[in-house]
Amino acid sequence: METLAPVPESCHQPGRAVRSALFCYRLHDDLGLKLDKHPTITDTGNRGLPLAAALAVIGLFGAMPVLAAGTPAGTLIENTATVSFDLAGTPISLQSNTTTITVVERIDVVVTLQSSQLLVSPSAVDQAVLFRVTNTGNGNETFSLLIDSTLVGDDFDPVPAVPAIYFDSDGSGDFNVGDLAYDPGVNDPVLTADASVDVFLVNDIPGTALNGQVGFTQLTATSTTGTGVPGTSYAGLGDGGVDAIIGTTQGEAAAVGEYLVSNVELSFVKTQAVADPFGGTEPVPGATITYTVTVEVTSAGIASASALSDPIPVYTTYVPDSIRLNAAAISDGADADAGELDTSGAPTVVVRLGDLTQADGIQTVVFQVTID
Amino acid sequence: MKILTTLMVLMMVSSTHALAQQQGHLDVTTSVQKEEVTVDESGQSETKLVEANTVVPGDRVIYTITFRNTSEETAENVVITNPIAESLTYVAGSAFGPGAIIEFSVDGGQTYALAEELTVTEDGETRSAHPGDFTHIRWAMQNELAAGAQGTARFAAVLD
Repeated sequence: METLAPVPESCHQPGRAVRSALFCYRLHDDLGLKLDKHPTITDTGNRGLPLAAALAVIGLFGAMPVLAAGTPAGTLIENTATVSFDLAGTPISLQSNTTTITVVERIDVVVTLQSSQLLVSPSAVDQAVLFRVTNTGNGNETFSLLIDSTLVGDDFDPVPAVPAIYFDSDGSGDFNVGDLAYDPGVNDPVLTADASVDVFLVNDIPGTALNGQVGFTQLTATSTTGTGVPGTSYAGLGDGGVDAIIGTTQGEAAAVGEYLVSNVELSFVKTQAVADPFGGTEPVPGATITYTVTVEVTSAGIASASALSDPIPVYTTYVPDSIRLNAAAISDGADADAGELDTSGAPTVVVRLGDLTQADGIQTVVFQVTID
Repeated sequence: MKILTTLMVLMMVSSTHALAQQQGHLDVTTSVQKEEVTVDESGQSETKLVEANTVVPGDRVIYTITFRNTSEETAENVVITNPIAESLTYVAGSAFGPGAIIEFSVDGGQTYALAEELTVTEDGETRSAHPGDFTHIRWAMQNELAAGAQGTARFAAVLD
């Protein structure tokens, strides 16, 4: 009846989820909203006036440009100088010609790994590593996504699931059934400047992987407008028909996630001692049974967030305040200590042992019941 | 008929003259260039100024204002004023103008002071102004501009 499960630690990323028509983006600032059409902003240099007016117009579309990634593509920057002087005692003021420069789109993308090294067992399926793709350019850009799990430098090759790329549609940071699969060319993520989308790479672990071995999986995000050396220009392919210029990230970015095989071997033994009301050891009504469970990691690796869950046997009643972990008392209530008597269903003793390694030695849990 | 034509020519001449007066006998022109860094095969980088029609965030642009006294008289108290566009950040120390006192504004051109004297009040606290706070630059020429003479004012800014 006992279960003792090493639970791989999964990554929980804070982030606010906003659902779009396509799928759910996780936005990491308050301004990363989508503009379908980029309005032209003319920056005349009269700080505070025309630009504010332009922003008000954008406000009608329910979105704001994100300036952190730079001045939005399509912005016109105008400049007019004024000269004033006295000629024969008469003050005169003149304006120069107006120069106009156009802000074109700079294509840049960054991919970052969000998960820590993922502990897996051989033959485990659907092991998900979380990445974040961020549009660091100054315009709307569409990116294609690619998985590669055959990198050199690791000990084994994870096997991509089919499909292998998912969006973290519910923004939970955990791969689950609600997450939408990526379909190349169909739902390529469209990101506004500064916006990001969280993406899982999902692999199976080969049964031949050995304890302590590492496997790599890589996510690559590529601008669908184009890639190239910085400065490469794509005429007319930027937002609103301005040119698109490849930035320092070359229009493509990748990050590598890691699986670590942690096939932890656990030894665990449960014993019982009966004490009857008459000084003997007969299991008669009124007798007390003391259960002792010992847990030990007997191999390399970490049994993460280990927890012991042991239901009270039928025809017995739990002895209040009888739980001990390594001889220290654990209260029955669900509080800050390492365990409790969980009475939400059938009464069950729960003790959380945490991350266990061989170095932690034997963990001993004791509790008592009386026979009804 | 001939008289009429002559009259028209006279009128045209006089109206051109009036326009010139209206223009004030000073030509002022702005131009904008950007820095383009090229790296040759030996790894030597070279910075050139090229015409700036298009820019991307991070580009450094240089505005040049030239003014010439096209009148027959000496111009006095010549002052050049140039706004700094919202999406540009002035490059500290880049403003240049022979014989000019160069001052800056942080309030949209209402008041001007030397860069190091300007302050900005933000969230109730007063601090020294940063180049990013500057909204306008003003070049006050200390010398007269003789008939036919020319002057230059210049500054650099980075596109946000």
